[in-house]
This record gives sequence, structure tokens and C-alpha cells, in this order.
Amino acid sequence: MQTDEFFACIAHYSVSDLTNQLYFINTSKCILLHLSVSLQKLFSLSQESGRSAAKFIINNNPKLFTKDFAEPHIPCLMPETVSLRLEEVSEEALKERITLRKVTAAVDMYDQLLQAGTTVSMETTHSLLDLICLYSDRDPVQDGEPQTDDEFGEELKKRKARVRRASDFLKFTWKENNNAERIFNLLPERDTRCYSALIRGMVKHGAYAKAFSMYTDMLNNRLTADVHIFSALISAAPDVRDKFNERWDLIAELLNQMNQQKVRPNLLTFNSVLKSLRRCGFLAKTQALHTLNEMKALGIGNAAIRVFYYLVFYRQEAMLIQRDLFLRACFLSLQCLDSKDLELGYKIQSLVDVGENWRLLGDSFHGRFFNLLCMMEHIDVVLKWYKQIIPSLYYPNPQGMRDLLQALDTDSRLDLLPSIWKDIKTLGHDNKPDLVEELLGLMAREKHSPEVQESFAACALDVKSVFDLRPSIEWSAASLSHITTLLLRANKTRQAWEMLQLFKARNRVPSEGLLNNFLSVCHSDGDPQKAVELVQLSAAFCLPTTWRLAKRALAEFDLTEEQRNDIIAPNPIYSANA
Amino acid sequence: YSLVFTLTTLPVSQSTLAWSRSLCSLSGSRGLHVTASCCKNRAARIRVGKGDKPVTYEQAHHPHHIGHRKGWLSQHTSNLKGEDGAAERTVEDVFIRRFMFGTFHGCLANEIVIKRRGNLLNVCAVMLQKLPPQKFYFLIGYTESLLSHFYKCPVKLEIQTLQDKIVYKYL
Repeated sequence: MQTDEFFACIAHYSVSDLTNQLYFINTSKCILLHLSVSLQKLFSLSQESGRSAAKFIINNNPKLFTKDFAEPHIPCLMPETVSLRLEEVSEEALKERITLRKVTAAVDMYDQLLQAGTTVSMETTHSLLDLICLYSDRDPVQDGEPQTDDEFGEELKKRKARVRRASDFLKFTWKENNNAERIFNLLPERDTRCYSALIRGMVKHGAYAKAFSMYTDMLNNRLTADVHIFSALISAAPDVRDKFNERWDLIAELLNQMNQQKVRPNLLTFNSVLKSLRRCGFLAKTQALHTLNEMKALGIGNAAIRVFYYLVFYRQEAMLIQRDLFLRACFLSLQCLDSKDLELGYKIQSLVDVGENWRLLGDSFHGRFFNLLCMMEHIDVVLKWYKQIIPSLYYPNPQGMRDLLQALDTDSRLDLLPSIWKDIKTLGHDNKPDLVEELLGLMAREKHSPEVQESFAACALDVKSVFDLRPSIEWSAASLSHITTLLLRANKTRQAWEMLQLFKARNRVPSEGLLNNFLSVCHSDGDPQKAVELVQLSAAFCLPTTWRLAKRALAEFDLTEEQRNDIIAPNPIYSANA
Repeated sequence: YSLVFTLTTLPVSQSTLAWSRSLCSLSGSRGLHVTASCCKNRAARIRVGKGDKPVTYEQAHHPHHIGHRKGWLSQHTSNLKGEDGAAERTVEDVFIRRFMFGTFHGCLANEIVIKRRGNLLNVCAVMLQKLPPQKFYFLIGYTESLLSHFYKCPVKLEIQTLQDKIVYKYL
């Protein structure tokens, strides 16, 4: 598929078609505030947790919230019933427990009903089986406490010996002889829906082989499976066979049987086929193409979804796939930016303004786009885009700022560095010592014209004031040296002197070049006292170059007897070399 | 206003009371709740003192300046001719003010402004930056959700934050 075709797809199917399939973080407020992505996520998550805290209080104190002012009645603003109301043994009570998702209570109620001799309707039995299989015969976890796992769970944990996440605790495993199977066996007649519940539950909770044996059972009882069973079995296929071609054969056989039983596949079926194909190694590419063509022939799913899968298989962006973020993954996985295709980058940028496509952008599209621009385009173009997309569309990380600094360096526009420093401060990156050091290094590297030097010196003073505000951050000797050099070049000797005192305070050693520089400035200023103090400072640091400095001082300056003594006395060797 | 009466039924007897008390007769459930009296010449007025007490613009201006130099803290249409529900709105406002004061304890820089537009209840507040922003967002989500469920109408909070209270003058 050519990239032009791809663009035709994307442009045609804008967000509104896929709204119900995509997940948006609620960034309605955060878009207007210039926040980095991590802060956006933090704030929207904290707002969500506030809402769920309120929900908890509302549901636990329903009496306070039952007074109804609203005409017409607004059901979503009423407290939800969380506790059971019906206590007698009846089918109504069973239905209530099923809707409230109380698995153990529902099973108890069912057993009581059976013992009392009342027949339970098929509908309710189906819902009960669905409930048990969905939660694998355990109550859904309240308050996020980890459930104690049985030995199967332990095995599962050992297999996945990586960092334990909360979701690992919430994954239930299929117990042996659990209530679902027991109730299933007790049923006088079992139809497709019962089998469907069991099989899907088994696949969801890891009992793959059992699922397949149940399927064979079902076929022996001459029942036809439905589309959900097939989808579940296809997604379980890679777990019951080891070799790639065996897996694919199993999937193909299931699809054939689906055809024979005249069951029409739906989007989920194809989804599971493609998901399983990713675990089929070399077969994936060829078969995926066939599958995608089948999808097109059957009219399932729209072009964008097919495009997504095309990219999945043929661009190897597997790690970027999140379950429902189809087009977002498309934007990211376009690889145009990794393949340095700037034209493609511009095209996508223009598409961002179409309709509501901006919602689809992941965090890294603009970052990579800007990176590419910095590498390849002239500085004026870079600056134009910089003004346009930062910080409204892209909140740059330190790497992004470094790219910009490099671009400025390449095109010799270092005079813009002070304004970039202001931006760095606004973005909150001034607490990153390496970035600041790089900026200072660029400024201090060469001598510039006097106005530029002045602006650099002002910038350096600003950086120094930022240092002073943050005592906890370790500034490197290089940063301090650069600042001092910049101040010296702009003839701000007094402030440069203060900087030297800072070296001692921060346990950093000034370099020889810096001290020599300083000495030259003292000479041009005609200040012998300062020169003496400089040599004394250098001696205090126990620098190896002290004797050279002393020699220079003694040679170049007119020193009084007292000043000579101050230099020589600490180390008589100077007088020998003088 | 001088005395606020909340009557459950016809009053059994009036009395001058210093604090809020309820009066119940032995026979039935008739009751009378009365608040402390607050005379017109002392309500919402900060008296001039030594000059060390910081006072905001809202506090510095006395109630007769409402409509001239001050706006209204609570905006709704039930005081117009032919509209009803003023008392209910007032009670809601009092509850909302106390709720906000307690939830965002120590963070309020000024009085809360409550605006009603159609069904929507808009609570506007200026806060001090005493809590980190994620805690603010947590409390905002919590308040909006809780008040919406309580009053059965959408409640939106509009918060602005400041470093310090804005002092208008010192009294």
C-alpha cells in the first residue's frame, strides 16, 4: 500500500468516525494550560480519583443523597445501590445479586433455589454462568486488595518473573472444579450459550486446553458454536500449540469449521486472528495480508483499521500498539521520522489541522517532527516552527531543547541564546544541570561582538541567580567556569570575583585557563591587589598551576613589598623561580 | 436583616434570644429556630483599628456599597418579580460556602461567588497556593461530583490561584 493511499484513508476517516472506538484522556482543561504530558496525566488522574472518592462516599451514604429536586429525574445523579435489598430465596434476589456482581452470594442463592426445588429460568442461568465465568468464581476485588492466589497463580507468577504490577494481582486463574463447572454439570440441558460462557471464561483465565476439550464436547453433543466461542478459541490457539505452522493450522481449521457451521465472523474474530498471527513468527506477514483482504471482502471494519493492521505487520511497531488507539498508533508508527522523511512530516503536520485529528496525536509526534526540523532545516524555518508549536502543541523535554541549541550552533545564531534561556526557564527545565551547562558552554566558547557579550553576561547573571535559588542542585565546575568567563568578557569584574568565591562554597575547582584569564583582566584593569588575592585563592585550592600564576603576578605587576611577601611567603619556591 | 426565622409551623411564642435555640412544646412537634440578632449597622462591617489588620477589597467595603462599588456574591434569578425559590437558593448557598470553606480549608483567599446559569451551578473561588496542584485537582473533582449528586444539577468549579491574599488596605 503506498503512502498516498494511506493518507487518503486518514484524511477521509477523521476522528468522528472512530470516536466510540478510541479512548481520549480528558484533557479539556489541560490543553489550554501549557503542561508537560506527565503533568497532564497526573492532574487528570487526580481529578478522576477525586471523583471516585466522591462516588464512594455517595454510594456508602445513600440516604443523604436521595432527595430528588430534579424534574425530570436524572438517574445518573442518584446514589447507586451497592448493597443487597432482597433477602428472601427467590429468582428476583438472584437477579439482583447478578446485577450487583456479587459472585459468591449469587452462587449461594442459586444453590438455595435448587435445594428448595424452584426451577430457575434459562435466561437467569445464562447470566449466572456468564457472571461466574467472567470473574472466575471470585468476587471482583474491592478496594484494590490483592487476592491470595492458589498454586496455579504461583506458577503464573514464576513464569512472568518481571516487575509485579497491580494488574498481575487482578488476573484471576481458573480454579479446578469450580462452581461454574459444577453448575454446568448440574444443568439438565445445556445449550450454546452455556458452553459459550464456560469456554470464554476458560480462555480469559488461562485454562486453554480445557477450553478446547469443552469445544469438542460441544461438537459431540451436536451443537453449533457461536461467533464468540470461535473468537475466544482463535485467540487461545497460540497457547495450545508450540510450533508456528501448527498454530496457523489450528487457526485455519477453526475458521473452516466456522464456515461449515455457517457462523459469520465479526470484527472481534478478525482481531483475534491478527493478534494470534503476531505470535506465529514468519507466517505472520503472508497470512496477515490474506486476512486483511478477507476483511475487506466481507466489509468488516473500515479502511483505517485495516491500515492500522498493515502498519502493525509491515512496519514492526509492535511495541507502540495499545488496544484501542488505532489511528494514534498510525501516526506514531509512520516511521517517517525515523526514516528521515521530512516531506512526510510536513504532510502529517498539515493533516493535524483537519477536523479533530489533533486528538489523535500521541505525545511524541511533535517531538520527533521538531527533532527532524532541527536536523535538516535552516534555522529560520526551525524558529518559525518553534514559535508555532511550542509550547501549545509540544512541550519540549530537555532533549528537544538540546536539538534546538545544536541547530542554533550549526547556523551560527548564538546571539539568540539569551531568549532561549528565558524559554528554558518558563518551561521549567532550568533545574537540569546538563542542559544549562550546554547552554553556557555554547555562549562561552568564542568571543563575540560587544553587544552580544553584554547580553550573554546578563544571561549568565540570570543563570547565577537561578543557582542561588536552588541550593540542592549540584552545579558542575564547567558551568561555574563558563559563567565567570562570560562575566569577565563583558568586563563585569566584580561579579566575576564573586563567582570565584562561589567555587570554594560549592567545592569546585576553577580551571587554569580561567585563572590566567582573570589575571590578564586584572592586569588590564591595573589592579595589583586583586592579582595577589587571585594567587592566594589559587594557593588555597592547592592548584598545581599556582606557581605559574605567582610567577606571572610577580613579573607583570608592580607590587609593593607587602604584596610580594603575601605571594612568596606561603611557598618560598616562587621566589626561586621569579 | 435583623433576625432570621426558620419556622416549621406557626410560632408558639416569640422570644428575644441571644443564641440560636429551638423551642418545642411538650404536646407536639412545633418548633422555632432563631439565630443571633445582627443589627444593620454592624453587619459585614470591619471597624477601623490600629492599622495592622490586612483587609481585602470585599471586606473593606460595607454592604451599602453593594451595587455601587461591590458586586454580588450570589447570582440567581429567584429575586425577580414572579420568581420563587429564593429561600431555597439561599440555603443552598450557605451550605455551599461552608462546604467549600471546609474542603479547601485554609486555601480560600476571598469570598466564594456562586452563579446560577440555567441548570448549572457555577462556583467561582480564588485560592491560595497552599496545596500542590494535584491535590487541588483531586479536591475539585471530589467537590464537583459530590455537589452534583447532592443538588441533582451540574456543578462546575472555577478556581484561580494566587500566591497571597490581595490586601486592599490595612485597618
